[in-house]
Amino acid sequence: MANAETIHAASSKGLSRKKKWFSYSVLFILPSFILYTLFVIYPTLNSINLSFTSWDGVSDKIHYIGLDNFVEMFHSERVYNALKNTLILSVSLVVLENVVALLLAVLVDQVRWFKSLFRSVFYFPVLLSGIVMGFVWTIIFNFNFGVISQLLDRMGLGDWKIDWLGDPNYALLAIIITTVWKGSGYYMIIYLAGLQGIPPELNEAASIDGANSWQKFRHITFPLLAGAMTVSVMLSMIGALKIFDQIAVMTDGGPGFATETLTYIVYKVGFGELRQGYGTAMSMVLFVLILIVSLIQIKLLKKREVQM
Amino acid sequence: MKKTVALSISSVLALSLILSACGSSKDSTTDTNASTASNEPAKKEVSFSIGYATGDPATKQAMADAVAAFTKANPNIKINDLSEGGSMAYLDWLKTKEAVGEFPDLVEMRDTQLFAEAGKIAEAPQAWLDLLADAPTFNDKHYTAPIVGTFPQGIIYSKKAYENAGVTAEPKTYDEFLAIQEKLKASGITPLTFGGKDIFHWGFWINKFFMDDMFADDPNWNSKRTKGEVSFTDAAPLQAMTDFTDLFTKGYIEKGWASTADNQTASMLVTGKAAQLFSGPWMFAQITQADPSFDYGWYPVPDRKGRIVVNGANSLQGWAISTAANQDADKQAAITEFVKFFFSKEQYTKFLQAVNGIPTTKETITYEASPQMARVLEVMNDPNTIKTLMINSFWGEDQMPTQWRNWFYKLAQEWLTKGSFSSDYMKKADAEWDANVKANAAAK
Repeated sequence: MANAETIHAASSKGLSRKKKWFSYSVLFILPSFILYTLFVIYPTLNSINLSFTSWDGVSDKIHYIGLDNFVEMFHSERVYNALKNTLILSVSLVVLENVVALLLAVLVDQVRWFKSLFRSVFYFPVLLSGIVMGFVWTIIFNFNFGVISQLLDRMGLGDWKIDWLGDPNYALLAIIITTVWKGSGYYMIIYLAGLQGIPPELNEAASIDGANSWQKFRHITFPLLAGAMTVSVMLSMIGALKIFDQIAVMTDGGPGFATETLTYIVYKVGFGELRQGYGTAMSMVLFVLILIVSLIQIKLLKKREVQM
Repeated sequence: MKKTVALSISSVLALSLILSACGSSKDSTTDTNASTASNEPAKKEVSFSIGYATGDPATKQAMADAVAAFTKANPNIKINDLSEGGSMAYLDWLKTKEAVGEFPDLVEMRDTQLFAEAGKIAEAPQAWLDLLADAPTFNDKHYTAPIVGTFPQGIIYSKKAYENAGVTAEPKTYDEFLAIQEKLKASGITPLTFGGKDIFHWGFWINKFFMDDMFADDPNWNSKRTKGEVSFTDAAPLQAMTDFTDLFTKGYIEKGWASTADNQTASMLVTGKAAQLFSGPWMFAQITQADPSFDYGWYPVPDRKGRIVVNGANSLQGWAISTAANQDADKQAAITEFVKFFFSKEQYTKFLQAVNGIPTTKETITYEASPQMARVLEVMNDPNTIKTLMINSFWGEDQMPTQWRNWFYKLAQEWLTKGSFSSDYMKKADAEWDANVKANAAAK
C-alpha cells in the first residue's frame, strides 16, 4: 500500500512537472506566435481573400468578382511571357549557381594557402544588398558609360559594344550573370560543409585502389554531396522563382516586357497598375508553383542521397 | 491549466501594452508649454510629413531648400521629408507609401483624380487658393495648388554641334526639323540623346506626337477613346507613332537609348556624345552644372502643319493635403503656413529660379532668366502657341486609365527593340485601354 502511494505521489509529481514545462513552453512560444500570425499568417490568408476582388489598392471599397482575376490571368499573353522568363531564369540559375558553387567549393577545399582569403572573397558578393549590387552592375553594363563599353572603346573595338540591359536578346543573360555572381558564394559554403564532412579515409582507400582524381570525385565526393545538393538546388530554385531586386533595379522588367518575371509582374500590376486584386491572384498562383516545384525537387533529390 | 491560461493572457496583455506604448509615441502634436522656460508663450510643436517627386535633381534640391528654410524660420514645426530617390515611378512610390500607412500629409500630387476619388486627399484650404492665379477644379472642387506652370518640352541643342553641321536657324516646320537631324548625322554626331531607362522620359517624345496629331485638335480625344468613338488605329495616332518610331529607325536617336537614364542625358549632351535632347526647362540647371561653359539653346519642335503645340495647359497637379492631415487642425494650420511660405515672393522666386519654373501665383514673380529660359517664356506667352496636355494629364471624363501610360511606353520599347511597328501594336493599345477602363470601373 505504501509502495502504491509512493508510486502515485511520484507519478503525480512527474505529471505536474510536465504541466509546468508545458505552460512555460507556451509562454516562450506565444510572443513569436502572435507576431508571426499578425505579420505573416494573417496577411497570407487575407491575400487569398483579396485574390477574388477587384481592389485597386487605394480605395476603401472592395468588390468581389469571383474567379475573373484567374480567368484573365490564364488568357494574358503578358503572364505567359513572365512565366517563360521565370522558367528560363530558374533553370539557368539553378544549374549555373550550383555548378559554379561546387567548383568554387572544391577549389577552396583543395587549396593549400590562403584558404580563408579565397573563402571570404568568393562569399563577399553574398553580403551585398541586391539593390546595391543591381546598381553596380547597371553601371558596369551601361552602353555609354559602362566599364565594358569604355574598355572596348579604348581598344578601338567600339563596334563590339552591346547594350546589355537595353537589348532583349541580352537583358535576361545580364541578369543571370549578375545573380550567379552574387549567389554562388552562398551555395559554395553549403557544398564546402558537405565536402568537409566526407571522411578522408574513403579518398585514401580509393587512392590505394588506384583511382584518379576524377574517379574519386565521380564515385565518392559527388554521391556524398547529395544532401548538400538537395538543399542548394532547392534554395537556388526558390530564390530564382522569386527573383526581384535585380530586375527592379537593372531593367524594370524591360526593355518592353523582355525581363518581366512572375514576381515582378505581381508587383507591377499590384502597385504600378493599381490592381491589387489581380496582383494578389497572380501571387497565389506563384505560391502554388513554388510549392509544387519544391515538393518535386525534394522527392527527386532525396532519392539519390547516400546515408553514411 | 488555469494557471497556464492566466499566464498566457497576462503575457498577451503585457505585449499589447508594450505595442500600444510604442504607438503612442508617434503622436504628431505635443504641448511643450510645461517644458519651456521662456516668458514668451511657446508655440505649439507640430510635425507633418511631406512627399514630392525627386526625379529631377534641381527640383529635389529646391524643395529640400524650401523645407530647410521654413523649418529654420518656424522651429516649432517639424517637417518629416519622406521623399526619396530610386528607380520607382512616383505613382508607385506614392502607392507604396499609402499601402504601408505613410501617405504624406502634404504631397506633390500628380494623379490627382485617382487619389481624390479614393478619398486620400482633401479639398485645398481657401488660404492656399487665395495665393494662386488659377487652380483647376475636379468635380467643381479644388484639390491642388499648382507648384509651377506646366513645363513645355523642346529641343535643347548644342550650339557648337549645330554650327559644325551648318545649321543656322530654328526649324519652322517638322520637315525642316528632320532635315536638321540629317545634317547632324552627316556631320558625324549622334543627333539625339534619349533617357529611355527611365519610363517617364518616354512621355516627352510620345506625347509630343500625340499632342501634335490628336490633342491639339481634339482635347476630348481620351473620352472618345473610352466611349469607343476613336481608336489608336485611326490615322492620327498611327501617324504620331510612325513619326516617333522613325526617329529611332532613321538613326537619329543614340544607340544605347534603352540604358541611358534621364539624368545621364545632360552628360551625353555636354560631352558631345549627342547634339540634342528633347526635354523641358528643368534640365537647364543640370546642363549648366555639368559644364558651365557649355553653349546651348532651346526651341519647340513644330508639328507637321507648322504649328507650335506644347505641353502647357493648366493641369490638376500640385500641392495637396491628405484627408488625414486635413482633419487635424494643428497639422492643417502648420501645412498652410508652409504653403504660404513656399509661395511667398522671396521663397518662390528662389524656387522658380532654381527649377526654371513658370509662376502660378497671383503676385507677379519675376526673376533673371537665362537666355534659354527666356525663349521658353517667349513661346509660352506667344498667343499663337497651342497649349495642351500630355495624355496622362487630362482629368474627369478625359482621364486616361492611370495604368495605361507606363504599359504603353513599355509597348513602345517592345516594338522599337523588335523593330516591327505596325497597327497591330495600336490594336493592343486599344485592347489594353478598354481592359483598364473595365478593371477601374469594377474597382469603384
